[in-house]
Amino acid sequence: MYFLYFDPGLGAMIAQAVIAAAAGVLLFSKNVMYKLKSFFGLIKEEDDSFDSIDIDEQEAEKDEPK
Amino acid sequence: MSQNKAHQASFRDPSGYVFYDKGKLRRAINPIYFEQYHKLTDSGFFSSLIQKGLLISHKETSASEEQIVITPDPIPFITNPYEWSFEQYKHAALLTLQIQKFALSKGFILKDASAYNVTFHRGRPVFLDTLSFDFYEEDSPWRAYKQFVMHFLGPLVLAKYHGTDMLKMMQTHIDGIPVQLLSSLLPGRTKLNPVLYTNIHLLAKLEGKHKDDYKAETKMAKLSKKAQNNILESLFNYIRKLELKEDTEWGNYYDKTNYDKEAFEAKRALIKKWVKPLSPQRLIDMGGNDGTFARAISKDVPHIIVTDIDAKAVEQNYKQIRENEEMNMLPFVCDVLQPAPGIGFNNTERESLLKRLADYDPEVTMALALIHHITLSGNVPFEKSAEFFASFSNMLIIEFPKRSDSWVESLLVRKREFINHFDFYNEEAFEQGYSKFFSLEKKQAIPGTERLLYLFKKR
Repeated sequence: MYFLYFDPGLGAMIAQAVIAAAAGVLLFSKNVMYKLKSFFGLIKEEDDSFDSIDIDEQEAEKDEPK
Repeated sequence: MSQNKAHQASFRDPSGYVFYDKGKLRRAINPIYFEQYHKLTDSGFFSSLIQKGLLISHKETSASEEQIVITPDPIPFITNPYEWSFEQYKHAALLTLQIQKFALSKGFILKDASAYNVTFHRGRPVFLDTLSFDFYEEDSPWRAYKQFVMHFLGPLVLAKYHGTDMLKMMQTHIDGIPVQLLSSLLPGRTKLNPVLYTNIHLLAKLEGKHKDDYKAETKMAKLSKKAQNNILESLFNYIRKLELKEDTEWGNYYDKTNYDKEAFEAKRALIKKWVKPLSPQRLIDMGGNDGTFARAISKDVPHIIVTDIDAKAVEQNYKQIRENEEMNMLPFVCDVLQPAPGIGFNNTERESLLKRLADYDPEVTMALALIHHITLSGNVPFEKSAEFFASFSNMLIIEFPKRSDSWVESLLVRKREFINHFDFYNEEAFEQGYSKFFSLEKKQAIPGTERLLYLFKKR
């Protein structure tokens, strides 16, 4: 059981199923576009720590705070 | 337990609290959270986030059956969401999503997504609340989702459509901007955007529909992990691409001011010469624009704050800091004529800017090209602005543009028939006003300008 010290909102909990479905469609079409673009060489790779939602665990040591 | 020393903002989460132990900030963990804490530590979850610089590092100070105490790496100055530029706000939001997705992959969740869990340190956003994590329960929706919309997505989207000033709404809404309000403030065309329609308008509608449902716990909705990841990724992609439409207020300030290159260099050199022998540990440059003059001395000072009224200038500064990896500079938005007040319960949950500045206790304060705005635009008498600077400064380097300076001239002209009310704007009155709180150490004209540079010491 979670400590519910703030109201997560029942509507918000229910809404997430719909939002996730819509997000799934969006991501799918984005992926298709991405693959098409990279096939035609239209993708520029950027290097920024906020480029991807995924944290690269391999690189962990590089950014270690001094 | 020494509850009486608890930090004023630390009472919402029963997992633990933050307190001051002889001036040192520590975090106490209650037994209710021991299981989570041990799992987060032993699984290496904390250390991966800390190594990546995403979570503030901490050391375990003591552990007993009643309480575990950890000591986080100290952060010299805490900025609040309503003081961030758009880009900073965006990065704080993206960091929160990165952490939630990572947590989910390791069987944890962020149990809250408050913007106050993030602040800026070493040139980048960092997550502060070590106790914000909990176990992931299979197929449960993200219960901090609505909070994320209210604290992050909402303010960012409002700023996109109505300008960066919308971020200041967080000052009046400490729990984030209510979703119904967000929905009504956004232009109708945002309903055509699938991300905004679902995450804001539809959310507001469903929230409204269920707001009187008191049997909430009995009807927990379900959501697969994959589906939750879809939400996180689509929010991340959307926020990453968000951009402000508004143009800069100052823009290339240094291009349109009355400096020529030599005068500019002379001012830089003079500041360098004055700051160095003071060897400050902490320095604040108020009205420091994009940090140009702070950069002149940034190699000699371990920690520097640069504030400006113009969020765009702060944003440019932040971008430079990231590009050059300047870990000792902290930029944020501040209107000297209206500094951030204390907000929340007792007005102390989030400290006022003046309280935080006094605690920060900078050895040197710089106020370059600022006094004529305070005095002539804000109508603040010299003695009053001196009192303001004296409330947190020790040494004050302040630039005084004379009446013959073109900026001052243009400000005075705008006063029209009241121009005579500002006859007091002159060197002598300035020195007299400041002498009540400061003693004059140095005074020098900046070559090639109609400006004087003063070094004052607090009495």
